[in-house]
Amino acid sequence: MSVLVDARSGQQVAARRAHATRRWLGRIPYVVLALYAVIGGVGPLLIDYDPVHVSLDDRLLRPGSHLSTGATAWFGTDGVGRDVLAQVVYGARTSVLIGVCTVAVSCLVGVAIGTVAGYFRGWPDMVLARGIDILLAFPAILLTIVIAGAFERSVLVVVVALSATAWISFARVTRSVALSIRERAWVDAARVLGVRPVSILLRHIVPFTAGPVVALATLEFALVVLAEAGLSFLGIGLPNSAVSWGQTIANGKQYLESAWWISALPGIALSLLIINIGILGDQLTARYGRGHLR
Amino acid sequence: MTRSLALPATRRTALAMLAAATMALTACSAATSGGTDSSNGEVVVAGTYPIDSIDPDGPQGGGTGPQMAEQQIFSRLVRTKPDGSLEGDLATSWKPDSTATQWTLTLRQGVKFSDGKTLTSADVVDSFKRFIDLKGTNAANFPGYTMTATSDNEVVLKASKPDAAVPRKLAVFFVLPAGVAPNDTAFFEHPVGTGPFKLEKFSPNEIALVPNPNYYGGAPKVKRVTIRKMPELASRLTALRTGEVDVAWGIPDDQLSQVESDSNLTVKTIQSSAVFTMWFNSSTPALRNAQVRRALWEAVDFPTIIKQLYPQTGSLSDSVVSPQTLGYVAQQPVKYDPAAAKAALTAAGFDFNTKLRLQFANAEFRQFNQAVVSDLEKIGVHVDLLEKEQAVFTKDLLALNWDINFQQLSNPMLDAANTIGRLYPCAAKRNGYCNPQLDKLLSEAGASSDEQERVKLYGEATQIIWQDAVGMFPMAVKYAYAWNKRLAGFSPDPNGLPDFSHLQVRS
Repeated sequence: MSVLVDARSGQQVAARRAHATRRWLGRIPYVVLALYAVIGGVGPLLIDYDPVHVSLDDRLLRPGSHLSTGATAWFGTDGVGRDVLAQVVYGARTSVLIGVCTVAVSCLVGVAIGTVAGYFRGWPDMVLARGIDILLAFPAILLTIVIAGAFERSVLVVVVALSATAWISFARVTRSVALSIRERAWVDAARVLGVRPVSILLRHIVPFTAGPVVALATLEFALVVLAEAGLSFLGIGLPNSAVSWGQTIANGKQYLESAWWISALPGIALSLLIINIGILGDQLTARYGRGHLR
Repeated sequence: MTRSLALPATRRTALAMLAAATMALTACSAATSGGTDSSNGEVVVAGTYPIDSIDPDGPQGGGTGPQMAEQQIFSRLVRTKPDGSLEGDLATSWKPDSTATQWTLTLRQGVKFSDGKTLTSADVVDSFKRFIDLKGTNAANFPGYTMTATSDNEVVLKASKPDAAVPRKLAVFFVLPAGVAPNDTAFFEHPVGTGPFKLEKFSPNEIALVPNPNYYGGAPKVKRVTIRKMPELASRLTALRTGEVDVAWGIPDDQLSQVESDSNLTVKTIQSSAVFTMWFNSSTPALRNAQVRRALWEAVDFPTIIKQLYPQTGSLSDSVVSPQTLGYVAQQPVKYDPAAAKAALTAAGFDFNTKLRLQFANAEFRQFNQAVVSDLEKIGVHVDLLEKEQAVFTKDLLALNWDINFQQLSNPMLDAANTIGRLYPCAAKRNGYCNPQLDKLLSEAGASSDEQERVKLYGEATQIIWQDAVGMFPMAVKYAYAWNKRLAGFSPDPNGLPDFSHLQVRS
């Protein structure tokens, strides 16, 4: 008996330990993302970088080499002698900024359209939902490339081009939430009391979309950061005066054999960010996603 | 029990899938490298530029890619040698009249087309008519010119005004058999020509050429030459080192050392006719003053930029055209002096708040232009660097929608008439610069039939362009060629148009 108890308590300890480990592992994405936020926010204050200024004497130096100015290039230098570390740090800021702006814009548009379609049903829903279906049938990246390629390169154009497809998933999720919430007793009560439709939308429906929308926003954020890097890699994203991971990776393309650090280091920074946002998004979906609404 | 069974089953599936994937991959790689067996006299060339058509008179016929294929299949009347001199191809001699408006060309005797028919002056005259009528890019060199046959082996070319550059201009005119219709796709699927090769297969990605037994210079000794389209630099270099292709060119300096370290490859650089040309838009208010333009030139440290970015394939240019071009006269180099430049700009009343637009196309020139912008920024001149798509670039270039324009300007005719004579008169409206004195010199140079006289006149014209800084002319370009050591008889070409007729494969 005592042996059995021991075994059971041993199992419990192991289970508790595994649980604790999992909890700690679950926090890694928060730590990594906080690190990116700090680097993106504070880094540019500490490291000086001007994309226009080149230093040909320092071109293609290995990570850890000394520059002609006496400083050390911890991440090496690129084809025209600019510091790769500075590009990674400034690129983090650009990526986060564009990610946040795009997600905010598409969230606003998506939630507005989704709730209106779901709450009013009838012909507004018909028009909006079919519009969403048509847009979904279109390859998102293609539409983004067409929009970004048609205009002169700028941050605004990139945000608009990425938002043009990113709002769709927000609209779909909020529409389905609104469709079920509008049948609830408190919404009926509000309607009977004569509350104006706009107030019902804002006070009784939109707050319930917050959970799934936040979970979706993190996933969209990762996709947007990746898409922005992709556009800049293709040369139709941000202007040359902006620093972007996609541009830095593209610049190192021809040096993959001789100077791997130009493409590899910003590439690693990008992958780490995407992976951690993905894990965080999964956690949030598990906690606040559609299944936990009721 | 079921568990223990299930595990190997999945593992077996995984293994099977892995094996299948490996087999598929090997099959794919075998398919791509197939047909390039290096032992049987076959040569594979990596083509940098697309070859969409081999009609020399069509709209694409004048491009570098098509021209490289066309010169293997069709002969010309005259051609330029790598050193810049002229040699007869189908013509054995060419003589102007006293005013250089009428040129008499004698044709080579006994030349046969690849189908066995003998070449006559009627073929040449008909080809020239087709060339002019179809208005391809190169036909613009012959405005209102006509050709007539005076006998079976003599033709006369009549120019609309005196033109001493006719023989060099003819290096872009290809001779076809008489009677090829304007859109004769059937003919160009199985073309008949007098060149060293015959077309065996044409597809946009690959062109296969086999020797023409009727070639007047003797059939080439290789069994087949394949031109394979490889626009990506990385894939060209990999293919060169694995032996998938035998010849590649246009290799940048940063990659040159890797290619040179390969013991199977011969690497050679050759002075091309190309010069990095950075025009200032003289019609822009900020750049109207020659003092300002000259000061901007002084502010850029071109010797350092060239030493760092183009140590092997670049050298400081000392003229508007390359050294082997007819009309080349060396000028005094512009010295790098940022302090003097800044002082000159201030004295000329230059507004340092203006933002100049520097436009260029092609990513290969990005670093060079970034370095130029960086140097100008150092003395407080702000420049917006605009990298444009080729089509947009060309449209903006002609519309003068730029302040500084970067171009790698090559001159396949190796005659200053084609660059200085064509681009710098007021009427050309290419860079906003207009100088009646220069116009006079250029029209005199164009009309003169005396070569010495022309060189002298173009030299004087160059001096005006150089002193007034119509543009910056920083670098003369060399092309780097690399080819497999098993090839013999390959000679690099200054225009990126190598001749394959002397190739041989060593056993």
